[in-house]
Amino acid sequence: MKYKAVRNIRLCTKDCLCLYVCPTGATDTENSIIDVNKCIGCGDCAKACPSGAISMVPQDYPPQQSKEASILSLSHVLTHHKARQEQLAKQLAQTSSSDELYRLMKAFEKSIRLVNEDILRESGYMLPQSTQVHDLLKTWIQDPPLDDFPRDIAQKLLDMIPCNELPVKRYRCKVCGAIFEIKEGEELICPICQATQDQLEIIDF
Amino acid sequence: MSFYENDYTIKERRTLDKEGGVIMRYVCSICGYVYDESQEQVAFSQLPDSWVCPICKADQSLFVGEEKEKETINLDVSWNDPIVYSTGEEAAICSNLARGCEKQYKDEEMKLFQMLSDYLTSKMEEETEINLKTMEQMLQQDLSQHYPALHHQAEEIEDRGTQRICVWGEKVTSILHSLLMRYQQSQGRFLRDTDIWVCSVCGFVFVGDNPPDLCPVCKVPAWKFEKIEGREQS
Repeated sequence: MKYKAVRNIRLCTKDCLCLYVCPTGATDTENSIIDVNKCIGCGDCAKACPSGAISMVPQDYPPQQSKEASILSLSHVLTHHKARQEQLAKQLAQTSSSDELYRLMKAFEKSIRLVNEDILRESGYMLPQSTQVHDLLKTWIQDPPLDDFPRDIAQKLLDMIPCNELPVKRYRCKVCGAIFEIKEGEELICPICQATQDQLEIIDF
Repeated sequence: MSFYENDYTIKERRTLDKEGGVIMRYVCSICGYVYDESQEQVAFSQLPDSWVCPICKADQSLFVGEEKEKETINLDVSWNDPIVYSTGEEAAICSNLARGCEKQYKDEEMKLFQMLSDYLTSKMEEETEINLKTMEQMLQQDLSQHYPALHHQAEEIEDRGTQRICVWGEKVTSILHSLLMRYQQSQGRFLRDTDIWVCSVCGFVFVGDNPPDLCPVCKVPAWKFEKIEGREQS
């Protein structure tokens, strides 16, 4: 796994050991941000830092743990409901006549969004690099959910963020009729009757 | 006084005082603070209504007596429908991904996801029943049905990540419900001349002049709390 050093300026106590140990001078910059182009990911600065201000941030991430269908559906019942509560809190703040209710509903709006983000994170949206996120962006580009949806932003994100999982395709075997999934790059062969590539057809999920 | 006990297990503990009455321990369901009647001068039931948890300010209704058995869960939540996300859920997916990019120090990607989230947030479907009663019912439904159903299923299949979001989410939802009840009872007096703080990590809401040293739900330090500002004067 590749890493790059990142400095948290909030924790940095200016002991400057990172300057002494860095073999490429990446840690010595005018804006305190470690130069990613110079950093070779050796980790010497993080080990030397007495205030724990430097962490080695991975450049690649493993796929998130997959979730069972029952969990995803029960989580969705909650996320759907939480989104409605957030909107209700927003409208209650807008129509409130007192400062107390306004602030309380603004707090609710923020709090409920945070809780909802947490549930969605566990529902497969933890990493922007996941297949699930890529599929969502693709859907938005092909079939925008709203007329003035900013497709260009979705496209830009799709171009910028690499996928950390191999795409899976679903096939039907023309010989035995079996339906199965194969990851891109793996050998195309029917797991039931061993029929080869030209006997398999791609089908939609 | 022991503060943070195990989040879940409510151990059987029954002691009799000299007159034969039951001495109880009451555990705050938000932060785990224990009100142990054997250590206190006043029985829990005799505490004034204004008494709240000294750590996280949860009100008395959020304390669980240790003798109380866990209520049976009615799993009246089905999970067969195909998942179609609403605009509000899509907005939250995007703001969460913006957070994910921020943690990976991907600034430009973070801004783009935030733009998508802001757009989707502005397009969320309006609610029609705009009153506090509706909010109270919705929170109550999460606490009595949605969370228990998810929590139970997560325990069944040993999905600890999902159990974690249930522990946090149930606590935050409880405190919102309790604040709403207090607001209605006091016409908002308890919020006058003081501030409201939101934990930017788990969403815990705290009322006081200063944020707590440690978030009672997710244990992050005080600087992770955001103060809620009043309406901007035009």
